[in-house]
Amino acid sequence: MSDRNSSDWLDASRPDWSRREFLRRLAAGSAFTLAGGAPLLRAEDEVEHPAARADSCILIWMAGGMASPETFDPKAYLPFEVGTPVEKIISTFPAIDTSVDGLQISAGLPEIAKVMDRGTLIRSHVQPDLGSILHSRHQYHWHTGYVPPQTVAAPHIGAWMAKVLGPRNEVMPPFINIGQRLEGIGESQEIKAFTTGGFFGSEFAPFNLPYPEKAAEAVRPPDGMGPDRFARRYRALKQMLEHSPKGEGLSDYHQESMLRSLDAAHRLLGSPKRQAFDLAREKPEILEEYDTGRFGRGCLLARRLVEEGARFVEVTTEYVPFLHWDTHENGHKTYERLHAEIDRPIARLIRDLEERGMLDRTLVVIASEFSRDMMIEGVPGSTAKDQSRAKTDVIKEMKHYGLHRHFTGGSSVAMFGGGMKKGFVYGRTADERPCLAVENPVSITDLHASLFTAMGISPKTVFDIERRPFYATEDGKGKAVMDLFA
Amino acid sequence: MLSLMIPARISSALGLIALAAPQTARGEVDFAHEVVPLLQKHCVECHGGDESKGGFSLNDRGIFLDADVVELGKPQDSYLIELLRTDFEDERMPPPKKQADPLPEEEIRVFERWIAAGLPWEPGFSFAGDRYEAPLKPRRPELPAGPADAHPIDLLLGKWFEENGVEPPHPLDDSAFLRRVSFDLIGLPPTPEELAEFLSDDSPDKRQSAIHDLLGRHTDYADHWLTFWNDLLRNAYDGTGFITGGRTRITGWLYGALHTNRPYDEFVRELVAPGKEARGFIDGIQWRGEVNSSQTKAIQFSQNVSQVFLGINMKCASCHDSFVDQWKLEDAYSLAAIYSNEPLELHRCDKPTGEKALARWIYPELGDIDASAPRDERLKQLADLIVHPENGRTARTIVNRLWQRLMGRGIVDPVDAMDTEPWNVDLLDYLATRLVDEDYDLKAILELIVTSEIYQSRSVNVAEESKQGEFRGPVMKRLTAEQFVDAVSRVTGSWPQAPKGGKKGPQTLEVVAKARGLGKWEGPVRASLRGLDAFQAALGRPNRDQVVSTRPDLLSTLEAIHLANGPEFASMLREGAAALLATKKPADELVDHVYLAALGRRPDEGEKAVAVGMLGEGTAEEGLADFLWTVFVQPEFFYIQ
Repeated sequence: MSDRNSSDWLDASRPDWSRREFLRRLAAGSAFTLAGGAPLLRAEDEVEHPAARADSCILIWMAGGMASPETFDPKAYLPFEVGTPVEKIISTFPAIDTSVDGLQISAGLPEIAKVMDRGTLIRSHVQPDLGSILHSRHQYHWHTGYVPPQTVAAPHIGAWMAKVLGPRNEVMPPFINIGQRLEGIGESQEIKAFTTGGFFGSEFAPFNLPYPEKAAEAVRPPDGMGPDRFARRYRALKQMLEHSPKGEGLSDYHQESMLRSLDAAHRLLGSPKRQAFDLAREKPEILEEYDTGRFGRGCLLARRLVEEGARFVEVTTEYVPFLHWDTHENGHKTYERLHAEIDRPIARLIRDLEERGMLDRTLVVIASEFSRDMMIEGVPGSTAKDQSRAKTDVIKEMKHYGLHRHFTGGSSVAMFGGGMKKGFVYGRTADERPCLAVENPVSITDLHASLFTAMGISPKTVFDIERRPFYATEDGKGKAVMDLFA
Repeated sequence: MLSLMIPARISSALGLIALAAPQTARGEVDFAHEVVPLLQKHCVECHGGDESKGGFSLNDRGIFLDADVVELGKPQDSYLIELLRTDFEDERMPPPKKQADPLPEEEIRVFERWIAAGLPWEPGFSFAGDRYEAPLKPRRPELPAGPADAHPIDLLLGKWFEENGVEPPHPLDDSAFLRRVSFDLIGLPPTPEELAEFLSDDSPDKRQSAIHDLLGRHTDYADHWLTFWNDLLRNAYDGTGFITGGRTRITGWLYGALHTNRPYDEFVRELVAPGKEARGFIDGIQWRGEVNSSQTKAIQFSQNVSQVFLGINMKCASCHDSFVDQWKLEDAYSLAAIYSNEPLELHRCDKPTGEKALARWIYPELGDIDASAPRDERLKQLADLIVHPENGRTARTIVNRLWQRLMGRGIVDPVDAMDTEPWNVDLLDYLATRLVDEDYDLKAILELIVTSEIYQSRSVNVAEESKQGEFRGPVMKRLTAEQFVDAVSRVTGSWPQAPKGGKKGPQTLEVVAKARGLGKWEGPVRASLRGLDAFQAALGRPNRDQVVSTRPDLLSTLEAIHLANGPEFASMLREGAAALLATKKPADELVDHVYLAALGRRPDEGEKAVAVGMLGEGTAEEGLADFLWTVFVQPEFFYIQ
């Protein structure tokens, strides 16, 4: 081009185009990619990502609203006694000491108590009042950072991590979701609405493994097909393609991308890494230690997957309306069971990661969509409808004993590894009802900013979708709580 | 682009202001001479024109104020000044990367005086830059000269190819043509019998006849186009909102409208000012609990009506005046107020403004809505304005959608941004006026497009980086989830039947049977009529919580995993193999049949050898199922060439 100046060569090949017209066309062309499906990272050079403190993230999801006064933030304990006025009850479990001086958590979690010195406990997480409390809406908010509904499909935070950071290991799906069924349960449509890659598309959608013990099937040849036949079938496809008279068409990027994806799928299904999905390969004594049920097995699966290079793994106790943490009656008895279900596997997971030297670079987060209270639905003064199924003024029977109302004024989030301080407590809730966060409240937006920051993602990361900016944290305004980091 | 355009705009603004000099002679602040140069020097690159870094645009005064960064009259309380002065480099503006030190104090003082004076701004001045202004009225372009029997689309494109020095693509052979046009019009590949008959036909107008026949298959046509319209109108069989009755389906109405090829003007009227059966579209989704003010039913109405029928994205303007196009918050609320039964208060970024919205149409040159009329009357008036003879936008929007479905890329692209300049204005305007000339007959437009030489051309090879380049011919289209699943059934002859058991079938089949004029459901069930299962979801069928006008065109790895080992696909292959074996054809005939049915061609020798080899492995059913798999996952099957 040395013998022509820049406007000459344009004019020579496009007689009707001025340089301005040419640039305008280029700009119009770029809009195609903006709204035509694939969102564009906007202003990538402007967003400075923080240095990553962790490479993987495990989100342990206590689905249904885990009461913090019954788990990580115990208050004055009143034992079950017929005739006790319910307004006197804040916690139905006594507190026990932990490995951190002065820090207590609820009885029933002795193993977790022993590893609290490995992590940070936030006791002042708060959620907005979204009108009548609905689990799936609050879960949507917690998992995407945006209150539903949204005009575009908001991506799950796991999809953000997959999109921005990519896979850690190229054969391992970057975003894996363990333990949540998406069919055949109440509110499944609402759960599906956030269990998604959103506008990032299915490349960043979760790889769903509702039953940890059946995870191996998801990466195995289909039922009734051995590995030999599976490999033969793929070889045959390649031979077919070699012989295909349409071979010349294969340079089209649609086709190329299809073959790349098929190849990636077969690499995973043929890779030794897929053994990570197979719990049967774990030592029986380890499996037994984790195996308090589906959730416990999910924790073990999460560890195996992160070991083999998964980027983001969510393990849930599973949301099913009125089950598990979603106690509308009989809370105390249900929590006895749930304590037992989560205590050993979570503690074991932390220890396993530590023993393998992985805890420093793995961020483990235990969270829930909100807390619970004996008396208050939402926050004091909320118009939210009282949803307790055990309405009574005084305890008459066991089913009245427990925290049966959804509380959004203060909940707990435990975080281990990933650069978080050790043996640290952040924020505080009042000791008397209402147990609101009275010190350093942390919103979902700022909590997400903290998780993203730990993972090396700027909370201001922004993509263009339908010509509008969409940020990793709402409006790009999330601020990491830097006090959490060591 | 900005650096080219802004100076021109600024200089004209300066000219304007020079005339208006007395206005600024009060010694407060001179917007044009003091403020604009500073904004231009430090801010516009990131916050003007199409740029709105950090979600902040300063294109005009209204937008500037919306951002809440200034307290009028109070520079000391203004966040903007804090950002200019702060010692925190993370926050300071301009960012340290652009400018190492804070702005000089004398410049900051200009901003302070400007805010103290109440942010004076030259009326009409904007940093938004030149934008293409899409015309509203219909326009009848003159067709280039050519033979009397020449196809109008080809005349227009012939001129375009010549002017742009682009080589037109090669024609499509008969068999590829029949495969493409069958998939495009009825969503199914031709059967080997249909293909053989077509190939042996030597009449010169056989393609026209084939097109005519396909468009005459009302049931197949409706089954196929239902997918497109369900996506666009958010008609889901199951999804969010149904749990509390916050949403209704329009399947029966929609299927009937497609089955009888309802003229598009009537179609639009019945959706915008609906009877009971079609209400679901304008009623949108009532989600449980409190929703953001940009997602109320009235605002959904505003967003969806403008997106679907007019190709306008009102989503930005539902929250604040848009940074990227001309639509204002007031426009979004004016449309919403047509729907709303209650007085509607404007909310800017979810905060009430105190202003009440007035039911109003967004193109006043065509007429307006009587805001005092009852709602049903207002909706009728709106429907009339949307299909007003002088409103060319509605016709342009739908013909562009149809062109995109058939050719792989819109004349305006993306198809929901109809304010963008088309790459061929004449073509768009011709198709739009033709739709009106044809009495809004959508099938007539489909027929017009698929009878053109350009449609009947080989799809062009697209490299990813040139995807957004100029038009060179049809672009390959990915089979939709529904087309894929149906095509597998068509090739193997194994169709899912309506679930047996109860007296009544599923709700969808019941209403569709009625729309077909049948008493009860008969025959196989095509994918578009089935619920959203995991396999269809994996292949890109959306959940229809949002309006979807185009689906992703690439296959992702997670989707590929479903193709490799998904239980649903595996059982389709098993059942398909069993059905084919039941025909008792010998192996080589089976291979020929599958190739013809799936790809519209016979295998070449090498392919046949591999295929026959596969049929000999394992049990007959296993071998055949594996062979079927290798055909269905080839790009040649998966993309409409």
